[in-house]
Amino acid sequence: MRYMLGVDVGGTFTDLTLTDSRARSLHVHKVRSTPDDPSRAIMTGISELLGRLELDPGALGYFGHGTTVATNALIERRGAVTALVTTDGFGDLLEIGTQTRPSLYDLKRAKPEPLVRAGMRFELRERVLHDGSVRTALCAEDVDRLAAELAELGVESVAVCLLSSYANPAHEELVASILRRALPGSFVTHSAALVPEFREFPRLSTTVLNAYLGPLMSRYLTNLAAAVSHLGIRAEPYVTQSNGGILSVAETVAAPVRTAVSGPSAGVVAATYLASRTTGGNLITFDMGGTSADISLVEDGTPLVSSERKVEGWPVRIPMLDIVTIGAGGGSIAGIDAGGALKVGPRSAGAAPGPAAYGTGGTEPTVTDANLVLGRLNPDGILGGAMPLDVAAATRAIDERIASRSSLSVDDAAAGIIAVVNAAMVRAIRSVSVARGFDPRDFALVAFGGAGALHAVELARELAIPRVLVPRAAGTFCSLGLLVANIRSDHVESHLVRPHTEGLEPVWAAFERLEARGREVLRAERVPEQRRSVELAIDARYVRQNYELPIMLAPEEIRQVDADTLCQRFHDAHAAKYGYARPEFEVEFVNMRLTAVGELPKPELPELPGRDGAELRPRSRRPVRFGTSWSTTPVFVGDDLRAGDAIAGPAVVERLDTTILLPPGDRAVVDAVGSLVITLSGAGQAARHG
Amino acid sequence: MARATIDPVTLEILGNRLLSVAEEVGETLVKTAFSTNIKERRDCSSAVFDRHGNMIAQAEHIPMHLGSMLGCVQAVLERVGAAELRRGDVYVTNDPYSGGGTHLPDITMVSPAFADGELVGFVANIAHHADVGGKVPGSTSGDASSIFQEGVRIPISRLQDGGRLRADVMDFIRVNSRTPLERDGDLNAQLAANAVGVRRLEEVVARYGVARFAEVSAALLDYAETLMRAGIARLPDGRSSFTDHMDDDGITLGVPLPIRVTVIVEGDVATVDLTGSSPQVRGPINVPLNGTLATIFYCFKALVGPDIPSNSGIYRALQVHAPEGTILNCVQPAAVGERIDTCQRLADAIFGAMSAIVPDRVLAASNSSVTTATFSGRHHETGEVFVYLETIAGGSGAHASGDGLSGVQVHMTNTSNLPVEALEREYPIVVTRYRFRQDSGGAGEFRGGLGIEREFEALQDGIAFSGLGDRQTTPPWGLLGGEAGATGAFELRRSSGGAERLGSKVSDVTLTAGDRVAVLTPGAGGFGNPRARSPERVQRDIDDRRVSARAAADAYGVALVPGATSIDESLTQRLRAGTPDDDGE
Repeated sequence: MRYMLGVDVGGTFTDLTLTDSRARSLHVHKVRSTPDDPSRAIMTGISELLGRLELDPGALGYFGHGTTVATNALIERRGAVTALVTTDGFGDLLEIGTQTRPSLYDLKRAKPEPLVRAGMRFELRERVLHDGSVRTALCAEDVDRLAAELAELGVESVAVCLLSSYANPAHEELVASILRRALPGSFVTHSAALVPEFREFPRLSTTVLNAYLGPLMSRYLTNLAAAVSHLGIRAEPYVTQSNGGILSVAETVAAPVRTAVSGPSAGVVAATYLASRTTGGNLITFDMGGTSADISLVEDGTPLVSSERKVEGWPVRIPMLDIVTIGAGGGSIAGIDAGGALKVGPRSAGAAPGPAAYGTGGTEPTVTDANLVLGRLNPDGILGGAMPLDVAAATRAIDERIASRSSLSVDDAAAGIIAVVNAAMVRAIRSVSVARGFDPRDFALVAFGGAGALHAVELARELAIPRVLVPRAAGTFCSLGLLVANIRSDHVESHLVRPHTEGLEPVWAAFERLEARGREVLRAERVPEQRRSVELAIDARYVRQNYELPIMLAPEEIRQVDADTLCQRFHDAHAAKYGYARPEFEVEFVNMRLTAVGELPKPELPELPGRDGAELRPRSRRPVRFGTSWSTTPVFVGDDLRAGDAIAGPAVVERLDTTILLPPGDRAVVDAVGSLVITLSGAGQAARHG
Repeated sequence: MARATIDPVTLEILGNRLLSVAEEVGETLVKTAFSTNIKERRDCSSAVFDRHGNMIAQAEHIPMHLGSMLGCVQAVLERVGAAELRRGDVYVTNDPYSGGGTHLPDITMVSPAFADGELVGFVANIAHHADVGGKVPGSTSGDASSIFQEGVRIPISRLQDGGRLRADVMDFIRVNSRTPLERDGDLNAQLAANAVGVRRLEEVVARYGVARFAEVSAALLDYAETLMRAGIARLPDGRSSFTDHMDDDGITLGVPLPIRVTVIVEGDVATVDLTGSSPQVRGPINVPLNGTLATIFYCFKALVGPDIPSNSGIYRALQVHAPEGTILNCVQPAAVGERIDTCQRLADAIFGAMSAIVPDRVLAASNSSVTTATFSGRHHETGEVFVYLETIAGGSGAHASGDGLSGVQVHMTNTSNLPVEALEREYPIVVTRYRFRQDSGGAGEFRGGLGIEREFEALQDGIAFSGLGDRQTTPPWGLLGGEAGATGAFELRRSSGGAERLGSKVSDVTLTAGDRVAVLTPGAGGFGNPRARSPERVQRDIDDRRVSARAAADAYGVALVPGATSIDESLTQRLRAGTPDDDGE
């Protein structure tokens, strides 16, 4: 597979990355997104990029696609007209949820509007109990009547979620099959097929989101596949999932909720791939853009995954990369509040009116304005000068809104804005690392997104992180993630098993069923046998507890390990995560999980040539403020860098899509693929936390 | 003023760092706890204090816990004395009358932090323990008439002495609980959480130096005070009184108990006078002063600045007069187990009083009862004794710009439910209904939130049911013409037929297999004249089964075309014209 193409559709831009493994080259292209029909920008971008390279579409061996169609449909509430079918007496569960209110102190904060209104929620007389026994039988005529009613209402999509269906899906399956027959063309999804786990509200919420997104995503992806094929591209599109993996269009369309927060996951996957060859597998990823920052943790090459995340306020009980998002970006607005403290964000100037320095109508100071006033951003403009910046406007905004309302000078106010926004980001990074038992000193920080590299080294210093990695194309880094992902398909069954009293047979039987399902997906995805693998986990807990921890086991351990071994693994996991274990307590298993993995070929990243001849020189110098003092700082340009180049801070490195700040004392080295590997001064010595 | 020397950046960053310390204490506690109550329902809180015992940062968990936070460190300083404190000490208490607590299940731990041998501050956390002894499992009994029936009282005791755990104190707490192993796990989690907090707080102090840290933390208190005063100053001056009632104290039935609030807003200070509220009562709904203060704190933070950091500085802008010996400032040995219901009512009454001053900022009355259902017995299949406790949410009040929320925990609590599929695996009980109560939201231009009907069925004989609730005779009132929401009820529906209404505080009703208990929680009050609600919104409520067609006609003057679902416009006009607009509350 020589040519691989990744297309990442964002809100503003559609980024394309094409790799040529033979020539070891990488080409990027950017076009403006077309939110009304995202495929237009995709087609334009592909045509332009292939045209530029004079490449035949048929030569593409791989096409990876990242899309925010599902995410945006949820935000903008543009999903299908959806009906919900529940057990009699539970039609309001979607709104009752966990009974908590959305804000402790904001009296007027509303709950998210349910995706299915009460008038579109239907109850069926039936009841299954936790052991799978039927307490009240389902009457098929009731379902027929319901089907007729739904047909009359013209619903596009139906979610079916009955109580205890994880233990016995027969009722749900009967309802789904009758509805499918009676409502041809509608999207019908039932919870046991999607998330057969106990705890009714998260399962219900996941099922409803899936139904809500189903018709829209089917239409979008089917059209896209047709359009791509029409262009002459023979490679079938793969679509990024929220778990960091990718799946074919056919598989994606079956459960589109899995793409609901896939946007930021590609960056994490790209970072993991890139870092595997330089800083190793322990990473904290830091993706900072205009309005927000996404932070995640990768342990030993494996991104942390959570099944407890919420999407637009709704729990989604499927494995997703555990990414924390905070409202701190280049456009975050700063100001002095009534109590005299300097606040930054979460309000953002966004693209319009934008930072004051953009001269597009913004008058409030932002993080970008502060970076400009402090000399960190080029006063002649960014994006290689394509985006001019107005230093006077930035200075004026900071003066009027902050300096003149406090005891601070303009410079100190600008430095204060950076310090405050950094403090918020440090808190977020601590929440994914320290709060989960990880020591940041054992990790490298991978910084990308337009603004990440301006802040990364200072954050690392604050957290005693010894090294920072800035990828070569930090601004289009996410689309690289589309080219280095694997197929990942998650499957689960829920069985309450006490291994010491009930034996492991139910566990093994569940894993065998799961493995068959997983392998079926890999077969359908045409993954060659030698590239297929499975990952297994059991969610376990102590009897009487109500939360679980995953323990891992290898596929070859099925029917080979005993209960003691597995329980010991649970005690160990409990001790590692919570600091203590209770070996004298009985353990029970709750869920069996399997991820089917299909390894895909990876592109070779283009290497940067080494230096011959003239040594690296700064293109210019300008005053930049570090700490409380200004120093005349050399400014390097990304295009001048060669593999092996070393830069000692203080320095600024300007690339087309990002600016890297290297404070005094820190050292950067350019690696073979053009990443900047920054080693902080004092790294390796006993660093103090704070 | 110390503030003059603190710049806006230092102020913000130290506030952020201290909040981070408090959050890490809370995260560690949730992470290392054993019981579901702490781990999954997150019924716990954490905070950081200065060396004088002022709270300077609190992680956001349960507003009610603020009460114990406010009192605990002060109590340690008074009882033990700053001079006696040593690094590695941990003090434990749960006592409302000597340890600053608000009821016995909330166990607080306080740890002093030091720098250069000098006391610099404290870290504290609170966890709600599922059982601390007393006359009933779960410790909170609806008919307790003295604190001595509500569990073990732990006066301020040194659980850890210079880093060494005192096994005798630990054992003393454990043996007084019906679930000692779980207590052991949760108490150890509390110790671990404070250890993390002390280490982190000492690191923060080291960055600033002891003197500078003291200055900046004083400035943080000033900061919250300034924000609170600025917020109050933006309110119009005024004086207003409001009286709400508790149904009864659970012992002397049918005697409503007044909760009377007078609020005076004058310049940048608000005064809350509780004179006229009921004397303290025999039942367990008395509130220690710290619980009352926490409630007032919650209300004013919600009214003037949800983003104001939770620290002791807020109090300086609030003056509270709560006469001793009343239900809102009880003296021992008053029973306090269910004090939160009274705090909920106090919050409603404060908003009621404030409605005359800032009608657009308040809520009409909410369900304001922590309606609790407890089922216990011996599981016939496993032979194990079980206690299953659930709190069921209700409506929240409507306001000047929107409907109330349906089926939510309000004001002083915000804990989650236990999933039906989780409880049915554990207990011989099935849930047969869990839905909103139609017409339970008070009518109004903005409708009150709906209460919940949750119906449980016993699968075996010999299960005991106890219920604790309120607003079962005193309805949640509406504002500015909005109508009251429905009251709550506990209903026993026998398998042999016939339904029977139980009291609002009922103990040990024995169920046989097939018997059902329906818990009906209160709705909430509406806001504004119901006839000002647009017919389209009324119709939407009918479509969504929140309002019945009959209630639409009676309360809103909106009629539907018979047999159809569209509005009968001419009849609606006649209905709306025929009824005076100002028929009042």
